[in-house]
Amino acid sequence: MPKVEINGVSQVFWSQSGAVQALAETSLSIDEGEFVCIVGPSGCGKSTLLNLVAGLAKPDTGQVIANGKPVTGPGPDRVVMFQESGLFPWLNVLQNVMFGLKMAGVPEPERRERAEKLLHMVHLSRFTQAWVHELSGGMKQRVALARALAPNPDILLMDEPFAALDAQTRDMLHDELEDLWASTRKTVIFVTHNVREAVRLGTRVIVMTARPGQVKNTYEIDLPRPRHIEDIGLVKIAATIRDDLRDEVLQATHEEGID
Amino acid sequence: MNTVAHQESSAALTAISHARARKDRLDRWRIYAMRVAFFASLIGLWHTLVWLEVWDEMIFPSLPQVTETLWLGISDQSLPTAIAISMQRLLIGYGLALCIGIPLGLLLGRVRWLNETVGMLAMGLQALPSICWLPLAVLWFGLGESAMIFVVVMGAVMALTLSTRDGVKNLPPLYMRAAHVLGASGWRLYVHVMLPATLPAVLTGAKLGWSFAWRSLMAAELLLVGVGLGSLLERGRELHDMSLVVAVMMVIMFVGLMTDRWLFSRLEQRFVHRRWGTAA
Repeated sequence: MPKVEINGVSQVFWSQSGAVQALAETSLSIDEGEFVCIVGPSGCGKSTLLNLVAGLAKPDTGQVIANGKPVTGPGPDRVVMFQESGLFPWLNVLQNVMFGLKMAGVPEPERRERAEKLLHMVHLSRFTQAWVHELSGGMKQRVALARALAPNPDILLMDEPFAALDAQTRDMLHDELEDLWASTRKTVIFVTHNVREAVRLGTRVIVMTARPGQVKNTYEIDLPRPRHIEDIGLVKIAATIRDDLRDEVLQATHEEGID
Repeated sequence: MNTVAHQESSAALTAISHARARKDRLDRWRIYAMRVAFFASLIGLWHTLVWLEVWDEMIFPSLPQVTETLWLGISDQSLPTAIAISMQRLLIGYGLALCIGIPLGLLLGRVRWLNETVGMLAMGLQALPSICWLPLAVLWFGLGESAMIFVVVMGAVMALTLSTRDGVKNLPPLYMRAAHVLGASGWRLYVHVMLPATLPAVLTGAKLGWSFAWRSLMAAELLLVGVGLGSLLERGRELHDMSLVVAVMMVIMFVGLMTDRWLFSRLEQRFVHRRWGTAA
């Protein structure tokens, strides 16, 4: 049984100029332990798709099944990590990581212990008492990762989590995420506009069409791990996917020009 | 990673932090000195005006007169009693306003139809000086404590409600999404996310509400007979004792200044500036 099953979901948005079909009927099946990267031109509905899996939005048609159950709202088995950390400024680093556990009713000592362990894993043990504004962008995303992992979700949904980071920090976080995924075998759905990042991380890369988005092509990535973003094999695959994507980007730009 | 700071020579860091502490201390002293100089020259100006006899002593009391009145008021207990009674009214009224205003503001910020209706009423009431309620309050509650407390509540509650509501409305949607994803819903969303996230706005409203509460109380005490700082002012007017009037005015200013410095500024520093990284 697939871990996540997306069955013919579509979504329409209402904007000032009327209805916009963000996502055409899309189906996708993701197995347990897969690391699926979704790339596509901006506005193709890839974040919408992620929100539907997260339960933050409801599809106009179709349904999402996660862990064998239809998705009706957010759940502790599916946690999202956003492009901006979304950390709570009124809580310190440790309290932010403990938040999901607190909501789940985990008692205080256990909560603290698990949060401290996660912070150690993302190399932030020395910053447990820091306030969010005292952290750099990369540190914030590390805390956000620890916070997302704290409720121990089977499915980790990542919405361009490293897009706002500099290249060095991003490389480092790629390594950490790869290690983490290898050791925990969580199912990851990772949305990005960066094709190399997708090939660097994913077991499978899905290219989406321009709006209204749907699955255009799927690429299985069999490169050995640990991978490096500069690996020649990786760069070659990324080039192929980028060519595939380019037509869609052009079309998206073209359509925006008409609007 | 992140060990760069760790590897920095700690001696150099210590030296820098000592220099910084020294500079901070110096800055603090400079500010104290400036304040003392400012208030000293204000008193100097006051003295000069009295000495020049620009106005009659009856309508422009001198500092020694005011000091004497203050001293008398303290020694015969009339001033501490008046402060205690006014404070009691203020705290009851303000406490009630907090209990009503903050939850109401949270609701108005979240429930659209409530905001369109009750929110509009709140805006209207905010424009109404709360002392306008006094005639009705006297009819409803009689010539006593309850009427005054009612006026205080009406003075403070709308500032709190509207400020809290705006805080909720300006909440970054990302916080709510993150909270939802992490399993917060229902009342826990209010208690663990919305309330703390709007704390900066709530504190702004609390400060505003406090000053409105004072104004309302003074107006009510001036108009109703009884004991309290406002009534003391009224007595000063009746007896043509302007040194009493000035003394009471100074006490009110002093209390206001102290609450701001010892309560609100500290709360803001601790719960807002330090956490959000905003300037103190």
